[in-house]
Amino acid sequence: MRIWRNKKKLDKNEKDPKKDDSFQVLLQQLSESDEFTQFTYASRSSTLCIGYYTSLIDTEILHRDIMPYLKELEVITSLPNVIPIEEVTLEKDTTIIQDQLLRGHVIIFDVNNLNQMGLAKASVERTRQVAIPEVEFSVVGPKEAFVESLDTNINLVRKRLPLPELIIKELHIGKISKTRVSVLYIEGIANKENVNTVIQRLSELQVDQINDSSYLTQLIQDNQNSPFPQLIDTERPDRIASVLGEGKVAILVDGAPHGLIGPTTFFEFFSAFEDYFLNWTVASFFRLVRFFAVLFSILVTPIYVAVLTYHYELIPKDMLSTLITSRSAIPLPPIMEALVLELTIELLREAGARLPTKVGQTIGIVGGIVIGTASVEAGLTSNVLLIIVALGALASFTTPVYQMGNTIRLIRFPFLLMAHYIGLLGVAISFCFLLIHLLRLSSLGRPFLEPFYPLRVQDLKDSLIRLPFSKQTKRPILEQTEDTMRFDPMKAKEKNDI
Amino acid sequence: MFDLETKELQISPFLVFFIINAVQVGIGVLGFQRVIMKSAGNDSWMVVLAAGMMVSFIIWLMYLLLNRHQKDIVQIQKDIFGKWVGSFISLIWIIYWLLIGIVTLRNYIEIVEVWMFPTINIYMFSLIFIILVYYCVSGGFRVVTGLSFLGVCIPFYLFFTFLFPIEFAHFRNLLPIWNHSIKDITFSIKDMIIGYLGFSTLLMYYPYIKHPKKSQKWAHLGNLLTMVIYLFILIITIGFFSEKQVSRQIWATLSLWKIVEMPFVERFEYIGITSWALIILPNICLSVWASTKGIQKIFNLKPKRVVIVILSILFCVTVAVQGREDIALLSKTMSLIGLCLGFIYVPLLTLISFLLSKMRRGKFEKGT
Repeated sequence: MRIWRNKKKLDKNEKDPKKDDSFQVLLQQLSESDEFTQFTYASRSSTLCIGYYTSLIDTEILHRDIMPYLKELEVITSLPNVIPIEEVTLEKDTTIIQDQLLRGHVIIFDVNNLNQMGLAKASVERTRQVAIPEVEFSVVGPKEAFVESLDTNINLVRKRLPLPELIIKELHIGKISKTRVSVLYIEGIANKENVNTVIQRLSELQVDQINDSSYLTQLIQDNQNSPFPQLIDTERPDRIASVLGEGKVAILVDGAPHGLIGPTTFFEFFSAFEDYFLNWTVASFFRLVRFFAVLFSILVTPIYVAVLTYHYELIPKDMLSTLITSRSAIPLPPIMEALVLELTIELLREAGARLPTKVGQTIGIVGGIVIGTASVEAGLTSNVLLIIVALGALASFTTPVYQMGNTIRLIRFPFLLMAHYIGLLGVAISFCFLLIHLLRLSSLGRPFLEPFYPLRVQDLKDSLIRLPFSKQTKRPILEQTEDTMRFDPMKAKEKNDI
Repeated sequence: MFDLETKELQISPFLVFFIINAVQVGIGVLGFQRVIMKSAGNDSWMVVLAAGMMVSFIIWLMYLLLNRHQKDIVQIQKDIFGKWVGSFISLIWIIYWLLIGIVTLRNYIEIVEVWMFPTINIYMFSLIFIILVYYCVSGGFRVVTGLSFLGVCIPFYLFFTFLFPIEFAHFRNLLPIWNHSIKDITFSIKDMIIGYLGFSTLLMYYPYIKHPKKSQKWAHLGNLLTMVIYLFILIITIGFFSEKQVSRQIWATLSLWKIVEMPFVERFEYIGITSWALIILPNICLSVWASTKGIQKIFNLKPKRVVIVILSILFCVTVAVQGREDIALLSKTMSLIGLCLGFIYVPLLTLISFLLSKMRRGKFEKGT
């Protein structure tokens, strides 16, 4: 088998002839695409040939900044001095020429002298305008969200951090998509080890296409089989700027309106960036509410199933009568009842997500009111469970990071099944499983449950709660930053007029 | 020369507090009262104190031994007794640790059977539990430690529920103090120490502690917390039950929970037993981890296979032992081995190691 495979490989190598470097071959290849425009132009001393991909260049630049100056051109080597745009180069290597053409350059060469080709950048980028964040909307605070253009996105970050230390490393990933991927970090704050991990994982990637940053999350996170995302994706440039200051590493992908942040912790997924725009007392309260919501949304339906299947004794007398009246006419066992309702909610969510916004709203109303009420009236589910499932669903939507919200919605199903199998013990065992899983996870090699395990008291002040900015004098230990202090706490105290 | 683990695998010294506490607090807390009150009666709080102090002394001895060698027990015994005898004694330790896991799991299953699910399928339940242990132990020592940490912190709320019975407690039951003979009390101490067993896994995870010498105070504090927990529950039990009542309660702590009543929940022992899963899980994981590591060190095997073998043994024995008498016999055997190893063998080993190092130093000085 192995011999055969080797042989095949050899054959392939033999078939693949040494790349023909000749420029004629390149031109032929290019002109096979109808979109490639090529024409000759007689300058004062020679005949020039100009070629470009029509869709990739800005014709205005071509006609205003390139064509008028070609008349005076005498030798092709003086091209950079003649054309008044910044990126004009001379190239010999056909692969580079091809690459640049595909990135919106115009090729200019002398028909009689094929040794050197001139390349002038006239690229145009068609992208939408910077808009309001939709996934991570905030009532107060900046309302800019990333768009699909990498340069615009970097601009949005850089204008918030006017620092020469903000380093941007660019890589090209994907065999056929050759997507531009930028790694952002602040030199002197970010730990070199984190940066190197990210760059190494990115450069070792073997894929053909990267269409969005979420591809990268799935490809470079530590445990790719875990339902828990281990890198935060965000559409807020202010969030990226802020975490870069903490010493994290950010990844921006061309064509993706979401950036990635790492290393991160489980608890950071439950912090909305709006928390930083509110007073710390309010923000802390909201965060606690969110954590409660997560626990509630995972545990409440399983506990209902467990208690009603096995442990009636747990419910006090007065409450039991309420439950019994609501359940007395229902023919289904609690697990069926719960699964039907949970699946209904999932269906509603999925239908709402797939349909256009306006139709989606209608579906929400139809589903929420009609199906809910009708199923109770038909005697298929109890109204207590309807309330519980609806509350659980509502609670699961409070998670600020969409990817984590999906995870929370998924993991309640194993809980439900275990609850049906061995009641409360099943819930406890599933919970233990969850804990161990979270303990085993890491984000870029840093522990995922960080401020709690390993316990780092200093990092607790921006986890479950958020203490005031004046108390956040140190950068999180998680990132192992090179410069650990955000600012000098002694100087901050000197200001005594407030 | 030293045999400490690489820095990435090591844990902070203060986590020893949680490991020691997690491995001590287990199934014993649910039913230790009857055993020790049988002979010491209302003076048994002294028994808890005395046993705790004795355990603290043994921990001190262990640190004396470990700090000198900076190795785990398998290596130390190899150095002192040679390869064959040393490994044989290590094997006894491993069997003992494995027994701790078995006894804990079996007792827990029994409680579940008696209190919650009379018809539970033991095979399935232990299998699920063992998969859980495998998932934890295969994650390495850091995950086991993490689980111990969370296993101490998360279920800690349970101890506040013991405040409910105080309303009905008569703390005069504690009086008169010292109405039992020293002989009775010594007898009880032996039974009480069972509740503290498991701390000997320290001998195995010592090389995994960063700055191990600093961890000693945390180990003692962890033991202290165990003692406080036992004392707290015991004093409430003495106040709540009469001596005769306690003698009829196999799991007195669970009976204490019956009095807990909240507007949304009754029969709190169900929740207690459920939450106890998170308390005994680190207990089992740690003992399984210790025995796995031991076997791996003796025979130089791949850890993954060893875990599977150890867990299969755990499963077979857990399932094979049926009925109250057998479980009690198993627990008794485990505690006997634990007592002999902890309170006779460890001091002896420390002494031998001390004498040997003196002798060797003497030779060394003579040689120069």
